[in-house]
Amino acid sequence: MSQLFPMKQVLGFVFSLLLTTVALAVYFLDMSFAAGMTILLVTAFIQAGLQLVVFMHAGETKDKSAIYTNVFYGLIIALVTVFGTLLAMVWDM
Amino acid sequence: MKIDNSLPLEYSTEENSLKILGFWIFLGAEIMLFATLFATYFTLENRTGSGPTGAEIFQITPVLFETIILLTSSFTVGLGIHAMRIGKQKAMVTFFSITLLLGLAFLGVEIFEFVTYVHEGAGIQTSAFTSALLTTLGTHGAHVTLGFFWGLFIILQIKKRGLTPQTTNKAFIFSLYWHFLDVVWIFIFSFIYLKGMM
Amino acid sequence: MDFFDRFAVPHPSLAIYASMAAIGLTIIAVIAGLTYFKKWGYLWREWLTTVDHKRIGIMYLLSALLMLFRGGVDAIMMRAQLAVPENTLLDAQHYNEIFTTHGIVMILFMAMPFIMFFMNFVVPLQIGARDVAFPRLNALSFWLFFMGAMLFNISFVVGGSPDAGWTSYFPLAGTEFSESVGNNYYMIAIQIAGIGTLMTGINFITTILKMRAPGMTLMKMPMFTWSALIANVIIVFAFPVLAVLLAMGTLDRQFGTNFFTMDNGGMDMLWANIFWVWGHPEVYILILPAFGIYSEVISTFARRNLYGYKSMVGSMVIISLLSFLVWAHHFFTMGQGAFTNSIFSITTMAIAVPTGVKIFNWLLTLRKGKIVFTTPMLYSMLFIPLFTLGGVTGVMLAMSAADYQYHNTMFLVAHFHNVIIPGVVYAMLAGLHYYWPKMFGFMLNEKIGKWTAWLLSIGFILAFMPMYVSGLDGQARRMYTYSEAAGFGLMNMISFVGAAIMAIGFVLIVYNIYYSTRYESRDISNDPWDARTLEWSTHTPVPEYNFAILPDVRSNEALWDAKKNGHVLFKGEYQKIHMPNNSGIPFIMSCIFFVWGFSFVFSLWIPVILTTIGIFVCMALRSFEQDHGRYISVKEIEETETNLRGA
Repeated sequence: MSQLFPMKQVLGFVFSLLLTTVALAVYFLDMSFAAGMTILLVTAFIQAGLQLVVFMHAGETKDKSAIYTNVFYGLIIALVTVFGTLLAMVWDM
Repeated sequence: MKIDNSLPLEYSTEENSLKILGFWIFLGAEIMLFATLFATYFTLENRTGSGPTGAEIFQITPVLFETIILLTSSFTVGLGIHAMRIGKQKAMVTFFSITLLLGLAFLGVEIFEFVTYVHEGAGIQTSAFTSALLTTLGTHGAHVTLGFFWGLFIILQIKKRGLTPQTTNKAFIFSLYWHFLDVVWIFIFSFIYLKGMM
Repeated sequence: MDFFDRFAVPHPSLAIYASMAAIGLTIIAVIAGLTYFKKWGYLWREWLTTVDHKRIGIMYLLSALLMLFRGGVDAIMMRAQLAVPENTLLDAQHYNEIFTTHGIVMILFMAMPFIMFFMNFVVPLQIGARDVAFPRLNALSFWLFFMGAMLFNISFVVGGSPDAGWTSYFPLAGTEFSESVGNNYYMIAIQIAGIGTLMTGINFITTILKMRAPGMTLMKMPMFTWSALIANVIIVFAFPVLAVLLAMGTLDRQFGTNFFTMDNGGMDMLWANIFWVWGHPEVYILILPAFGIYSEVISTFARRNLYGYKSMVGSMVIISLLSFLVWAHHFFTMGQGAFTNSIFSITTMAIAVPTGVKIFNWLLTLRKGKIVFTTPMLYSMLFIPLFTLGGVTGVMLAMSAADYQYHNTMFLVAHFHNVIIPGVVYAMLAGLHYYWPKMFGFMLNEKIGKWTAWLLSIGFILAFMPMYVSGLDGQARRMYTYSEAAGFGLMNMISFVGAAIMAIGFVLIVYNIYYSTRYESRDISNDPWDARTLEWSTHTPVPEYNFAILPDVRSNEALWDAKKNGHVLFKGEYQKIHMPNNSGIPFIMSCIFFVWGFSFVFSLWIPVILTTIGIFVCMALRSFEQDHGRYISVKEIEETETNLRGA
């Protein structure tokens, strides 16, 4: 039975629940917007990285550089799109 | 067809590894799809017109349920792939079935949530904010729905054909998709709900 | 009758009725012809169900040429309308429809399939592969594109064309100002074609990354393959943006949401913003493969290796990233602050640097080369000066302060035609002449080809240079007419003459195809241009499996190596070859998509639901189907090879 629950994945799951709990602090505790956003950004991106490496096995084959390049390229452009849009449409309008 | 036994079954043919890489690239495209939705949502977040704001309609309980359900389903699909790799077909099918049931539960809570919103006067036509909110959530929900049927077909195929290079390949790709939906949900949870209720 | 009223064209005219008749007669003629010559079976077996990248490529080419003429007719009508002041050839509504469809057809349904044709036909041959990574997906991509294009094209005879410009800015494109179904067509038809394009992107990245011949490392890929790889990377990250944008546009128009509306918090500017997040990378999707073709052609006909291979690759990688960082330069005047404009101004000017690097690399490739002036080379030589001119006016437009003067004038129209025509269209024509013998086993006539190149260039200069002048003088784009006192008459008349000369050029291309089919020699070698890359190392016509033995590659000019340095490309014995089976599912599924799209445009929800189910049934069938492909035996390969060598 225990071989069906490898340590790495169980720990990964526990850690992801932990990250969720930390993120919930911004709801239950009273804090500034900047502090809250920092917590959310940190927990969300760690959580995403966790899924990518532990659960999605992104680095297990020789295609690993292509896979990571693809994901990071997507991430960079996604961030540019989101922040660029906010800059042009909201912050500097 | 050449089979390379040094690799897990789902990578064992050339076609298999092509499909896995191709699906990763598709996920890259999905990142941009959701990024565009997020960009739209953040831009329209405070443009509520005469409708309610996020703080007025968001509730922590259903959101927390959805998050825990989806995180758990992501864990179980990971266990399913692990069971598949050590050749335990029965355990794998069980884990996949649990995953899909959790997926259904998630959809149930989400539908309940949508109905509540509409009752509170936050339909998709109410304001720019509700349009962006419900479209973003709906796109994620539609992905989960599609994933449910996809997963179901894969379970049926594994039951019928056993763990072959083809079926394991499909199952692995499905698991990538499911984990990715979990990642997207984490961002929805953090930057739509928690940010909105902060 | 009420039901059928919705399909009527809102602004009918003689031209539209004539088009209806022409379309009807063409369809009847095609059906009758296929039946009379008993070609239905052939059409189904050899083309509609094919998964062969070469045939799919040729179908892309045919669609692109067809659309070139549709878009070209729109163009000549526009120029005719503007040729003299206060002209009444077209009314305002028709003019709006024509400039809208001209833009969409030329960019998405002419230029895109044209580059898809090159990628499909050339990339697998150039990397020494037997097909693309996902042959069936490739067929689906083509058929989705084709059905999207056809759906878009029937709009002007059923229900009315879109009329809010190719950018379809809200609020003009919203239901408040555009009631007819025209803009529904825009949202749905482009959506269907866009899904196809996205799948092509995924397919070709995987193909190029995983299916290269032994020994071909990334830095030994031919330049066209590099440009295709980079263009597909941009496709994968840009097209989802378009998909979301069009979905939101559809929701606004047909489901009453408030993304881009004028009340309830909607923000019309957001459409322009997201449109260009996709739209700017899109122009690089078009131009990069064009650069790739010029690189191949210039290096072949300068009889020299490409100068600065690494800097070419590097500049393309930089362009691919920068192309996502410049989009706001399309709306400098929309009201955002100077800070934002400055950022996008700088990134825009920065993108001119890697492009300039490429221009210098081509020039330095020519230096000390033994230049052979063939038709493809002539196009490339005309490209360099004309495109540079367009690039320089682009840098002018990039300066946000000065842009307030140029914005939305004919100056802008002159600029983007000045980069797209010499940049993309010339590359497509150069490539068409270059690869024609590999496709069909005979050359296109060189004399007619060169006449065409010169006519197009003279026509181009006459048509577009005056627009720079009238644009700076204040002629706004998209105005259907102007008064005599405005003084734009002369410039627009010159433009019209230029457009007419270009039209003659395009007709000459068709004549050239006809003439060459009848009179050109069939006795050509596998390598008629004395070229340098792998696609010329296999037989003409290319056998189904491309290469009987996969080539062994040592440099980025594998064939040149083989010819000059005695490198042996094909080593070893024949082995049986695994090939994918043909499938009817991509075609059938795309037909269902067409019906789905048409019903969606007219909000006919019952057929929409039925066809949606149909699409998912096709996907489920595919999931349960077991198709392991087939093998070509060694004996068959030997027979084919002997036949081809004998011929």
